[in-house]
Amino acid sequence: MFRHLSFVFLCALLALPSQSSAYTPSQEERSLLTKIEQDTVQYFIRLSDKTTGMTRDSSRPGSPSSIAATGFALAALAVAGSHGWLPHEYAYNRIVTTLKVMKEKAEHQNGFFYHFLDARTARRVWSSEASSIDTALFLAGALLAAQYYPGTEIELLANELYERVDWKWMMNGSRFICMGWTPESKFLPYYWDSYNELMLLVALAVGAPKNPVPPEAWDAWLRPEGNYNGHRVIYSSSGSLFTYQYSHAFIDFRGLKDQGNDFFTNSTEATLANRAFSLSFAGKYKSYSENSWGLSASVGPGGYKAYGALPGGTLHDGTIAPYAALSSIVFTPELSINAIKFFFNNYGENLYGNFGFKGAFNLDKSWWADEYIGIDQGISFLMLENFLNDGIIWKKFMGLEAVKRWLELTKLQAAESEPVSLNSSSEV
Amino acid sequence: MNPNRRRRFFINKPLQVRYMLVVTLPLLALCCITIFGIYIGIWGGVLGAFSNEEMRNDMLTASRMVEYEQARYQPAKQGPSLLSLFRETEKLSLRQREVFREILNDTNRDLAWKLILLLILIGWGTIYASHKIAGPLYRFSRTFEDIEKGNYRTRIFLRKGDEGHPVAKELNDALVSTDRLLSDIKNASRDPDTLQALSRIKEKLETIKTSADV
Repeated sequence: MFRHLSFVFLCALLALPSQSSAYTPSQEERSLLTKIEQDTVQYFIRLSDKTTGMTRDSSRPGSPSSIAATGFALAALAVAGSHGWLPHEYAYNRIVTTLKVMKEKAEHQNGFFYHFLDARTARRVWSSEASSIDTALFLAGALLAAQYYPGTEIELLANELYERVDWKWMMNGSRFICMGWTPESKFLPYYWDSYNELMLLVALAVGAPKNPVPPEAWDAWLRPEGNYNGHRVIYSSSGSLFTYQYSHAFIDFRGLKDQGNDFFTNSTEATLANRAFSLSFAGKYKSYSENSWGLSASVGPGGYKAYGALPGGTLHDGTIAPYAALSSIVFTPELSINAIKFFFNNYGENLYGNFGFKGAFNLDKSWWADEYIGIDQGISFLMLENFLNDGIIWKKFMGLEAVKRWLELTKLQAAESEPVSLNSSSEV
Repeated sequence: MNPNRRRRFFINKPLQVRYMLVVTLPLLALCCITIFGIYIGIWGGVLGAFSNEEMRNDMLTASRMVEYEQARYQPAKQGPSLLSLFRETEKLSLRQREVFREILNDTNRDLAWKLILLLILIGWGTIYASHKIAGPLYRFSRTFEDIEKGNYRTRIFLRKGDEGHPVAKELNDALVSTDRLLSDIKNASRDPDTLQALSRIKEKLETIKTSADV
């Protein structure tokens, strides 16, 4: 009798509506999300250099290549190849070419690539820094691609690039990983010392096969807590939604317990807080509404800004970046899908193009971005893939030896994986 | 009160107005040409450079790079200062420096020959204008020297367009009058009748006022 009652209680509990629980998208919604994913991958096909494979930071003419965008491109090509959206040979060759260029030609310092490189020559441009986070994003893409092509040249090259990085050097004798290094001024005076997108970087640095940072580096960074509208969040200083998403594109944090924190739940709460924050300004800004939300770093009428919400930075001017709501789809599926449908159906003419959603919009200023940003497309693509294909990215990435080593060294415990979306399928 | 103080600004209004125009107009022309040249030169260069699509894209990208850095590093908010202004534009300046150096060099090259031409024109104008005064002054000086030497037949001859024609005319009239008086006295002194000669000289001298009359 007790067992029977317990089963009924468990069923009732699972039936309770919750944003972080699995959500069943309709067939129409799945079709739309798949279309967006397929369109978004076109950014990485069309805006990557045909010779070097390096991907442009933005679709705007004159934009240099970004190593983070190139990393997302490697992941996107591998995924697109696995779906048959691209011929296998084409995807494979493009990834190999890119990795070879990155290994042999791309300028780097102790394995850390410069943030912006010339797409044709792979030389450093714009006095950019050898960037720790962007190198991590590149390597995450490369290592993920390697998981799609195990035992091939891709895996070999990705591992060589990973092993080449001297992670310890980037700590510059401190407890934290430095944000970057330039030949002109050496180490930047900024460190990854507080919660944001740093988790992917630190995970790769701790789990690295060569020159890793000590496991203590994982515990060292601050986990500041804040509360907004009933949402308790370990927050990033900018309050930008992307900071709660990037690490989660690759690492499955569901069930991982870190000093009692669950970062998947944290990102869910941060997304809800971000939405609630913009809703509280709905009377002031036309762009903000129930289905139009997402304050995150993006282009805007006044240039590129780290828009964000409480808790954290509160820079906002009525500019909404569609990628922000979209990339929270694994955290808040229903709300994100509603936002995606709203953006697509109402603003599609101005906001949607050949490569998916464009950068941002601001109705008060009648401003629509006329460009796509590489990393925005990258996070959108990977989050859609995770959502539509039962966390396939997470499964592949969590299978990496480096990630296992990071989990072991930091004593983070993974829980049983749950379905990301009901009715998910590996075939779309 | 200074007794030598000029009470009237315009002593010779037509002359002074004319000279005001002579000096002001070339300077005004110089200013206009220079400003116009600089304006057209620099802004033409800037607009030309920014009209170049590649350059425009470079400038936008440079701006984006700075925005990325500001978005990522979020330096502590500081009050407005010159240093922060420079720091904010540091990267832009690196790129802009090349662009603006070229623009300024081109503009300077364009302006250099115009300025040389202007200097020649102004120099010539100044010489021409000053000649109108210096020439008559020189003639006056030579005439006074002749008078000092006792040559009362001398006259002041000025060129057309020279300044000082009215003064020269009055001086020449005075010279004619003096020359006539002295000629009459000289002719009287040649009279064989000494008494009559003396009487004629006295008669002539009575008409003039000298220090001896005090």
